[in-house]
Amino acid sequence: MSAHPGAIRLETLTKAYGSVTALHDVDLEVRAGELLTLVGPSGSGKSTILRLVAGLDRPDSGRILVDGTDVAQVPPHRRAVAMVFQDYALYPHLTVRGNLLFGLRVRRVPRAEADRRARAAAERLGIADLLDRYPDQMSGGQRQRVALARALVREPTVYLLDEPLASLDAQLRFATRADLLAVHRDLGTTMVHVTHDQAEAMTLGDRLAVLDAGRVRQVGPPQQVYDEPADLVVAGFLGSPPMNLVPGGGVLGEAPGLTLGVRPEDLALDPDGPIEATVEAVEALGSEAILLTRCPDGTRLAVRTGPRHGLRAGAGLRLRPDPHRLHRFDTETGQRRRRAEGVDE
Amino acid sequence: MSSRSRRPLTPWMFLAPYGVAVLLLIALPALLNLGYAFTDHTGLTRDPRFTGLANLRRLVADDFFLDSLEASLFHVAVSVPLRLLAAVGLGLLLAAPRPGGRWFRVAVYLPTVIPDVALAVLFLWVLNPLYGPLNQLLGLVGHPGYTWLAEPTTARVGVVLMLLFPIGEGFLVVLAARRLLDGRLYEAAALEGCGPFGQLRRLTLPLLAPVLVLLAVRDTILTLQVNFVPAYVLTDGRPANATQYLPVYIFDHAFEFSGFAYGALLTIVLMVISAAVITVQLLAVRRWRVLR
Ligand SMILES: Nc1ncnc2c1ncn2[C@@H]1O[C@H](COP(=O)(O)OP(=O)(O)OP(=O)(O)O)[C@@H](O)[C@H]1O
Ligand SMILES: [Mg+2]
Repeated sequence: MSAHPGAIRLETLTKAYGSVTALHDVDLEVRAGELLTLVGPSGSGKSTILRLVAGLDRPDSGRILVDGTDVAQVPPHRRAVAMVFQDYALYPHLTVRGNLLFGLRVRRVPRAEADRRARAAAERLGIADLLDRYPDQMSGGQRQRVALARALVREPTVYLLDEPLASLDAQLRFATRADLLAVHRDLGTTMVHVTHDQAEAMTLGDRLAVLDAGRVRQVGPPQQVYDEPADLVVAGFLGSPPMNLVPGGGVLGEAPGLTLGVRPEDLALDPDGPIEATVEAVEALGSEAILLTRCPDGTRLAVRTGPRHGLRAGAGLRLRPDPHRLHRFDTETGQRRRRAEGVDE
Repeated sequence: MSSRSRRPLTPWMFLAPYGVAVLLLIALPALLNLGYAFTDHTGLTRDPRFTGLANLRRLVADDFFLDSLEASLFHVAVSVPLRLLAAVGLGLLLAAPRPGGRWFRVAVYLPTVIPDVALAVLFLWVLNPLYGPLNQLLGLVGHPGYTWLAEPTTARVGVVLMLLFPIGEGFLVVLAARRLLDGRLYEAAALEGCGPFGQLRRLTLPLLAPVLVLLAVRDTILTLQVNFVPAYVLTDGRPANATQYLPVYIFDHAFEFSGFAYGALLTIVLMVISAAVITVQLLAVRRWRVLR
């Protein structure tokens, strides 16, 4: 028996809205107590997965198992999931207190108990002094916290978080991210967290699932997905800037039928390097800099380097790719090719 | 202020036609009306004379006025809640996109575009005790039916029934307001275990409260006045003055019996009553904290 309930299993889940297929044979497993992050471009079906798990929509085919039981016939409120919506969905006619108590009142939780839970959730998220405000009297970040607190009050076995940090500014996002992690650590509850944000995708989850066009492309620990993207889509999506992808025969070397990839940080400035390039633009980020370069054959390469490199647009340079960090993909299928040398196994 | 003098006149010019009409057709007659109420003006002679409170003394002793007042208050008390219930109920039912929904929406709105005289003539037939469909319907469940327009109470009910149909404006407002509510809220509530009735009670009605209050106030004003046509066409104020509503009584006095002066005073009374009813409503709204 596992310590916590809340294991989710999606089996060949398919969902279409009219002619748009939002999900395509999705298989995905979320372990009990795990924080799984879903990333993918806009429209890839992230929200759809959450809605299906929550029971707000029904799949066209496939099964959803929670702790081993098919929940197709279970109505949303019996599923013990709490959802934080992309746009919060706070009740505008109720104060923060009213919002937190809403579900408890519907469930006829005794008053004292309900108040205790609402207060505890509010204190955990630092909104205890906002309990009498209405949603339109709060900032975006405060509303965000109320939405999270409303989910906490529910005491569910699964949290579904749809881009909960998307509309926060960088500072608040950082702080709220830490709160979210703390909540997850304290409660040990299963969380599925959707994000657009590269940093969140890498830092927040135990595991990362990359979605594209309604299909799951890769699932794994964030670092592993980053280091060994399973296909061209994942390679091109994760990382900022994303991996440099060059067809075989180009500046990264001979490789018939393959596409070669190298991350910007795996290209070193080296006067004796094999690749000749010209700097087109410099993005100084304070702690580092991104050089956008162009090779004589027109290939564009992004290079991550230290902040004080002294290079300007127009400067020529030579680059050396780290041979151990070269990625190879089948151009036809997009699939990753493992190398005989086994360096990136 | 200097900024004001520099503001262009254009907006005022656009407002002018409306402003002039309001002045000439509403403000001025209202003022005249206020003056006439304290004269013996008949509308025929040219020289109204000031008679002080004579009309008021007459009003206090006027038993027909009390009958009329009672008829009007009965009508408002029954008609406004029913009309609101119908408009809100149908508006909420038909707000969701459903196959064929637009035909139902058209059907609900249609009676509103029928001129009320035509609707009243139609209801003469509906309420006919011999061949009217209403009595035939009652006959289906074994009820002998009523002589609708011949009995005081059923005559009043008949007028209420007729005015239950032209509710298109309130219906439209509810429909539009409901469609503006965020569907996410309902999903959030469904996740919490809120069924259809819970959603109605905890989301829809509180969120629509401002609109509902507005509709109630408006319908009170409207209902105190629009029963004129049905009362005239269906019953002519009879039987036993049961449908001698205030507007009918005012018309009769102003144009048939006593001339403008007494009618003018009655008009002012009607306004005061409207204001009083609305005040009671708004006090209730505040007392029960319907609005945030
Ligand atoms: N109710 C709907 N009706 C029609 N199409 C829909 C509906 N909901 C989603 N879709 C479509 O399904 C696909 C997946 O949508 P989904 O909301 O899951 O994307 P997402 O990954 O959450 O995107 P985003 O990051 O922009 O929120 C999209 O192509 C979208 O247009
Ligand atoms: Mg989404």
